[in-house]
Amino acid sequence: MAIDYDRLSPTEVAQRRQRRIRWLIYLVILAVLIWYFVIRSEYVIAYENPEQHFKYGSIGSEGVTGLPTPVLHALPVLYKDRMGDKGWGAFGMHTEPDQPLPIGFSRRIVTGVERAWLNCSVCHVGTYRLPGDDEVHYIYGGASNDLLLYELIDFFIDVGRDPGFTADKLIAAINSDEVPAHLNFLERRLYRWVVFPRIKAALLALSDDLAFVKRQEPYGPGRVDTFNSYKVLQFNFDMSPDAISDVALNGASDYPSIWMQAPRAGMNLHWDGNNNSVAERNLSAALGAGVSPPSVDHASLARVRAWIDKLKAPEFPGEVDTALAERGSALFYRFCADCHGYKTAEGYDYNTGKYPYLGQVVPLDEIGTDPGRWASYTQGFAAAQNTLYAGYPVQFRHFKKTGGYANHPLDGIWARSPYLHNGSVPTLRDLMEPAASRPAVWFRGSNELDLARVGYRSDEASGGKFRFDTSVLGNRNTGHEGPEYGTDLPAADKDAIVEFMKTL
Amino acid sequence: MLDQASPDQSYLHGDHAAQIFQPIKFRHVEAKNRIFRSNLSGMFDDYNGHGGNARVNWETKFAKGGCGGIISSYTPVAVRGRILTRYAMIDNDDKIPFWRRIGEAVHEHDCRFFMQLSHSGRQQDLGGVENVYNLALSSTDKKDFFHGILCKAMTKPEIQEIVEQFAQGARRAREAGLDGVELHGANGYLITQFLSSGINDRDDEYGGSWENRARFCLEIIRAIRREAGQDFHLQMKINAVDHNDWLYPWQPKGNPLDESIKICRMLMDDGKGVDAFHISSGSTFPHPRNPPGDLPMRDLVRWYDGMLSQGVRTHLNYRIFSNPVGAWLFRRYWIWRRGKVIEGINRDYARAVTEAIRETDDSVKVLVTGGWQHADAIGNAIRSGACDGVSIGRPLIANNDLAHILKKANGPAPGKECTYCNKCLINDLENPLGCYELSRYDGDTFEEKYDNMIKEVMSVFYPPTFT
Repeated sequence: MAIDYDRLSPTEVAQRRQRRIRWLIYLVILAVLIWYFVIRSEYVIAYENPEQHFKYGSIGSEGVTGLPTPVLHALPVLYKDRMGDKGWGAFGMHTEPDQPLPIGFSRRIVTGVERAWLNCSVCHVGTYRLPGDDEVHYIYGGASNDLLLYELIDFFIDVGRDPGFTADKLIAAINSDEVPAHLNFLERRLYRWVVFPRIKAALLALSDDLAFVKRQEPYGPGRVDTFNSYKVLQFNFDMSPDAISDVALNGASDYPSIWMQAPRAGMNLHWDGNNNSVAERNLSAALGAGVSPPSVDHASLARVRAWIDKLKAPEFPGEVDTALAERGSALFYRFCADCHGYKTAEGYDYNTGKYPYLGQVVPLDEIGTDPGRWASYTQGFAAAQNTLYAGYPVQFRHFKKTGGYANHPLDGIWARSPYLHNGSVPTLRDLMEPAASRPAVWFRGSNELDLARVGYRSDEASGGKFRFDTSVLGNRNTGHEGPEYGTDLPAADKDAIVEFMKTL
Repeated sequence: MLDQASPDQSYLHGDHAAQIFQPIKFRHVEAKNRIFRSNLSGMFDDYNGHGGNARVNWETKFAKGGCGGIISSYTPVAVRGRILTRYAMIDNDDKIPFWRRIGEAVHEHDCRFFMQLSHSGRQQDLGGVENVYNLALSSTDKKDFFHGILCKAMTKPEIQEIVEQFAQGARRAREAGLDGVELHGANGYLITQFLSSGINDRDDEYGGSWENRARFCLEIIRAIRREAGQDFHLQMKINAVDHNDWLYPWQPKGNPLDESIKICRMLMDDGKGVDAFHISSGSTFPHPRNPPGDLPMRDLVRWYDGMLSQGVRTHLNYRIFSNPVGAWLFRRYWIWRRGKVIEGINRDYARAVTEAIRETDDSVKVLVTGGWQHADAIGNAIRSGACDGVSIGRPLIANNDLAHILKKANGPAPGKECTYCNKCLINDLENPLGCYELSRYDGDTFEEKYDNMIKEVMSVFYPPTFT
């Protein structure tokens, strides 16, 4: 038997045991510290200014749905053939100077990796240009009119399915000069063995979940099918053709503005009025941006809410004929105020006591607008939603299936073009016409204002790329018409009402 | 084992033995063969520097073992210049009787005895209670870079005092009837601290040029001649090359070979200086090249602790030694800095010195140290003119009778050779000097071998002082 000439003395054996225990303790302490500070703790890139917070602040979507920031930088490089030179701008997103990512992307360090994903502002920043002027004005808290969400989802589906999306290409793209990030030797290994497979798996899963989107009619810029994706991503609803009608499958609607939320408390919110709690509506919308019940940053959402509660609707940027508007005011009061509230010298009046139908749901038969959005929201889905946040004080309780579409205040209505819940009518003046006289086919996507008719330009020369055909499922421009809606009034009266609506 | 460094294997063992066992004639003394016990000893003596019985036993082992001569262990000329406690000193006439006893014991076996006169300077591993409040004396104010031992540059009066201490040490050695003295001018001790361009940073006449750096040593030699006479054997242990940058590559390299040779010539002092040189290398002790071998990290952890209080870098060293990763790295570094050759590591340096001084004076002999253990290696070195004789340390600790062995064989029996493990070196810090390489000892179990090892190590205390 070989003799161990290097035998330890009993004391040394005991010392070694002590040393090992000591190291074990150190390792446990280190593991706890790493767990606490790297794994458990998240670090947000935070903004003191509430408007900046709205634009770039994290609401907690990054850890659940987000991608590492370098990946978001690399995708436009990898898919230049599809996105062109505009990067994320190809999907109607806007990047401000000195910002690494477009408005609507927030950043958060989760498990030690900086990730980015969406927040409220991706859907709630509007833009406009004055006629003949190239300067783009942003309306923070407005309704996005540029975001090509359908194309964005389609892009992620295709990336997930793209056999050419490989770790090698991703790493090469991140380390190319076009991306403001660099992966070192260790990070490259981490990307190859951990990060990339997870991204690939997540995008593939997303592709499978959202495969139904390919069966939908394209939304066009500034529109979203809120609840169909929601059904799948939160509840794994069956979206096969047998399980959902074509009408319900095409529930795309226009983005709403989210200013002046405080006075909207208690109104039936969402286009179909399915919830009368601003807080629940906000949390629910956050789920749409990618948070999950455990990951949502309530404090951050509270900051957003505090800001949008009092956010003023923007002032109309053009001339207003005050005499005409004054005449329109009376007509508005007579035809519109019962359902939409009214504006007096003191400001917009949201008093649901005074305006009995404000915030109330008008039955679908009566309002007559496109049924797609209404049909996409089902009883079963409402029941499922009311299980969300179960076990938290904020558990959803208020979601309900309604009989039609809800009446909303019209503050800042000039900035919320196109009109009706599905954005099927380009201007306010068009909306004053009966459906038959409204544009049947028009072009969506220009952000140049038509100051007279109030809304974005929609003619073919406007630059709008999306041909909006009102005969397509979900795009009907009917409804909100008849004598009680003022569509039978003389043109001069309609002009007066529109002039007044500029001042809202 | 054949000497791998030697290209010439065309000699029989008898030819090598004939080289080794021919007498060597220094100017004033002759030894029966070419094997010298190099300077080493354990902490065997009285704390205050009086020698003890164990050292008599110790030196007798090697005299009995057939060495032609013995160079005493490091013998301090003053307590302030000790490296370790419990080493017999030569700082006072009251030490003469002890050294006389040593000389007599060694001479009984026809063995010469040279006292190595030494001063630690800043390389003071265990200064002892006498030196707790003393800064080590050196050529420089800069601390020793290995252990971080603090020091001060000597003033000229202090230099003169130490020169005189060396001279008086030599006088005492002569009065004790010893055969000669050796100045320990190698391996980082005080004389090296003056000689080495890597250490000496003085700007007076004792520093700067090689002539100035050698001045201190030359003054000692002249003082010794004055006190001990021109006919008293005086040899000089010196580094052929300093390799001062072994640990920290940014340290200056110290003396190169050609400068060392110039210094040697100067120390010959026109025939009135040294009678022999004893060639080593490495400007610290220990040094990967001296004693060349392994570094036993376990033993370092066990026995370096006594030095923790001695320098400002000892705690750092100890943390490195006692950390598995640090120990592994340090040991690999140590071995890499040494190089591949162990036996005869200084042979070619010695050859350069020998050839240079023989041009001037062939009565001056050259000994060389460094891992010698085999007759062929030693025989070839002497025959080829690399040296006149060799000094042996660790292989003689392993086999006290190595000289007798080499007469009959090329080296010790398999399993009995010195492994150059350097456990003796490290154990010397706290334990009796001896061979601590357990694998060399007889026995079938760890315990048997350990018992035999302890018996061998403790044999230095036999016969006991009182019987």
